[in-house]
Amino acid sequence: MILGLRPPVALAALLAAMAAVVIAVFNWKGAPVTGQTFLVTTYIGLFLGALWAMYATGLVVVYTTTGVFNFAQGAIGVFAAFLYWELHVNRGWHSILALFVVVGLFAPALGVLLDVVIMRRLRTASLVVQLMVTVAIMVLLLSVVGDIWEADTPRRVPYLFGIENGIDLGPSQLPWHRLIVFLVAVAIAVAMRYLLRRTRIGTAMRAVVDNRELAALNGARPNAVSSTSWALGSMLGALGGILIAPELGLDPATLNNVVIIAFAAAAFGALRNLPMAVVGAMLIGLLRAHTGAWLDFGPDYRFAHLSIAPLILLFVVIALPQARLEVGRLAHNLRRHERFTKWWEGLIGCGVIILAAVALSGGWLDFGIWDPGAWGSRELNSANEAMAFALIGLSLVPLIGWAGQINFAPLAFAGFGAFVYLKLAGDTGDGYWILLVGLLCAPLGALVALPAARLRGLYLALMTMAFAQAMSLIFFPHSWILPTIGVGRQFPHIELFGVTFDDRRGFFLLIVSVFAVFVYALVLLRRSRYGRRWMAVNDSQAASATLGIPVVWTKVVVYALSAAMAGIAGVFWATVSGNVDSVQGFDLLIGFNIVLLVAAAGVSIPVAGIFLIFIPLFTGLGHRLEDTGNVDFLVTLLEIMTTYGPGLMVLGMVFNPRGAIFEMGRGFSPLLPWRSDARAEIAAENAQKREPEIGELGIERPFTPEEVIAIDRRLGILDDVVPKEGYGSARS
Amino acid sequence: MIEAAATPLLELVGIRAGYGTIDVLHGVDLRVMPGTVCALLGPNGAGKTTTLGVASGQIRPHAGSVLLNGQEVNGVSPDRLARAGVCLIPEGRGVFPNLTVAENLRMCTYAGVSYQEVQERAFAQFPRLRERRSQTAGTLSGGEQQMLAMSRAMATDPALLMLDELSMGLAPIIVEELYEQVAALAEAGLSILIVEQFAQAVLGVADEAAIMLHGRIQRTGAPEEIAEKLTAAYLGMS
Repeated sequence: MILGLRPPVALAALLAAMAAVVIAVFNWKGAPVTGQTFLVTTYIGLFLGALWAMYATGLVVVYTTTGVFNFAQGAIGVFAAFLYWELHVNRGWHSILALFVVVGLFAPALGVLLDVVIMRRLRTASLVVQLMVTVAIMVLLLSVVGDIWEADTPRRVPYLFGIENGIDLGPSQLPWHRLIVFLVAVAIAVAMRYLLRRTRIGTAMRAVVDNRELAALNGARPNAVSSTSWALGSMLGALGGILIAPELGLDPATLNNVVIIAFAAAAFGALRNLPMAVVGAMLIGLLRAHTGAWLDFGPDYRFAHLSIAPLILLFVVIALPQARLEVGRLAHNLRRHERFTKWWEGLIGCGVIILAAVALSGGWLDFGIWDPGAWGSRELNSANEAMAFALIGLSLVPLIGWAGQINFAPLAFAGFGAFVYLKLAGDTGDGYWILLVGLLCAPLGALVALPAARLRGLYLALMTMAFAQAMSLIFFPHSWILPTIGVGRQFPHIELFGVTFDDRRGFFLLIVSVFAVFVYALVLLRRSRYGRRWMAVNDSQAASATLGIPVVWTKVVVYALSAAMAGIAGVFWATVSGNVDSVQGFDLLIGFNIVLLVAAAGVSIPVAGIFLIFIPLFTGLGHRLEDTGNVDFLVTLLEIMTTYGPGLMVLGMVFNPRGAIFEMGRGFSPLLPWRSDARAEIAAENAQKREPEIGELGIERPFTPEEVIAIDRRLGILDDVVPKEGYGSARS
Repeated sequence: MIEAAATPLLELVGIRAGYGTIDVLHGVDLRVMPGTVCALLGPNGAGKTTTLGVASGQIRPHAGSVLLNGQEVNGVSPDRLARAGVCLIPEGRGVFPNLTVAENLRMCTYAGVSYQEVQERAFAQFPRLRERRSQTAGTLSGGEQQMLAMSRAMATDPALLMLDELSMGLAPIIVEELYEQVAALAEAGLSILIVEQFAQAVLGVADEAAIMLHGRIQRTGAPEEIAEKLTAAYLGMS
């Protein structure tokens, strides 16, 4: 104990203080600090903090009352804000009425719907499935908003309480709206605290998370209670969205990203402690306002002040106590009987992939409507993009599929890989540097995972998200990393074995070959002892630890491997898109889609990465159909599939957590001549479904209890104390 | 003794039940008469806990009927049964570990007793809980957790109390203390069904006892009578 703090907390506080001093000293703007400017900055900070506190309150309430960390909390707010705009601004309803309809009717209905259709089935699901599903809901909600309210019309949500009037603060004015938002945020936090701690329904909400069965034995209705929890969480999200929208503007992405700051605030309260989460939000708000006022980071770090939330999250993660190993919890997927792909099967499969690519790109086969004979540069470009996506997705297979860890930042690693390659290979495009790219990305992955690896998986997921944000705010915008936008420098063509892959067909074959090699490497890795170790850690950390497997270290190694693969994939992606600036497009939301697609396809199977081909492929097919004309409904269908496909597929995980590829494989493998085991399995399953006829068992009628006893006696398995007297009847 | 004409408070008739496709109970018949204490004994895996699961509504039987006071309650949800006065204290610390002692007690109020009264009765029975009222239940000692779990039985006036392995993992002196409470409840006329693996503690309290083996009730009778047969049953001798 140091000054009454646990060592990790003290360490984190010390690190944070040092970081604050160093950053402040080196970037001091030199503006005079007056009492008045200080006061105004503080008020802005508190107001910002209040906005985030509102979201953080929603997150903490949902987490404590449902056990699910809801990544869709921000998206619910976005939806509500747009709906409020529609009713109030577009239809001219009175603001109070619109507010009541959205927050009081729509939001709880949405919450109950989410609970009944999805969340109820997620209770026993693994963390990966839980997180993936909430992320899918987020992506789906944002897509729906994008489709209903198209981005071309400018929209503004008016301030609920007016912005013109307010309290005079000398140099600036404190508008009523902001004051009221601040008070509302604090009031909501206090009310929620009271609800959770001092009322029976609040107690029941937390009790249901603790032990659902026991809650029912107490007489609480668990389903009704958790529906209430979701309704409440949804209302908080909706209210937050409507109050924040006037400040940030009605843009889905911007509004949704607020929730990432709220994640850091919620983590400040260890995701469960409401007052601390509010303190965290205020702290982030104050830091943000004051860094904006007193510090100047120069043009290279122009977004640095926005990265306070990821930084706070990092220090919080360092300070949190080691997670207890979960003992006595059954592995989520009990029915898993893994069959490991044999080395020669993998070889054949990869050969098939390459041959198919050769056949497709060369135009040797006829595919009807989409005639590959005419594969022009547009189709090849789509195919190359698709393969680059698939390669990035493949990096998630060992991580999500085997080790059960989550990485929301595959694109940040890919971008880092592309940057490293650009610096190393320069304009020559020497392909051998790609290997070094992998070696340099691996430590970065380990570094991101290290602080949170000793904590529960959720924090690791949050860390990767914070990392992705920090990269896009600090790293990629730096002028040394990427030359100033608009220069239009091209990514060099890759050169390997004396061949320059400057035409799209050659590049397609190269990228497919790399994909096949990666798949094969993963197949071998999965068969290895080390690969099984990851699965063991995923099944039970406690059991792995008692076997002597270093759990934390094992997780860190998976992240390193995944980062290395993503980095290498990044080189190919950057090469496909050609323009160097495109690295800046390594956006978190696209990253979400990649993660979702891989997860939906069936994360534990290497080939699942190939599912990612569908996004650009559908787009390419759409172009093609548009060109030929008169198939509008198909174009629309493809658009819908591209936008909603990943999210909907992940929702499918609620019902089938093993993913689409797995089911397809179950149908396909019995067809292979050497897979007699797969045929036997199907036969056994069919036999189990059917009740055998009595005649088939060689008897004519069911046994009587006396006969059962006689048989038991004959077989020597009789367990009765006094059989005849006791069997089948109890008397008092 | 009990009159034959009286309706049993709880009656299980030909219950078959289990988990998934696996049956654990192969036709269980059991009765608890009003105002009596029935002990259900048997080794590991006999199906005792499953029997309680069926009686409390947690597990829906595949065949047979569950009768409460003569009325069939198959398929009635556990929370409805709980509000109707069926109180099951489950195996292994029936407490909410992340809730405080006071919050755990607040959960008892779903049975229709006021929070004030629940607290008064629980603290009267177990004064130690009063000292720990704002402590998280997960941080209590095993004995204290079991006391907290038991206070639901004390505070809510159930019609039928079912106790699952009250003694599990507890020091003998605490088990004795808890069974004194059970005896007091029985004295007051409460109908109780107790499941135990180790019979010593419970046979002193019980009016009748039943031995369960491999999903069937093997024998019912007076506690003394059953005690004799017990060793044989546990060792699998006939």
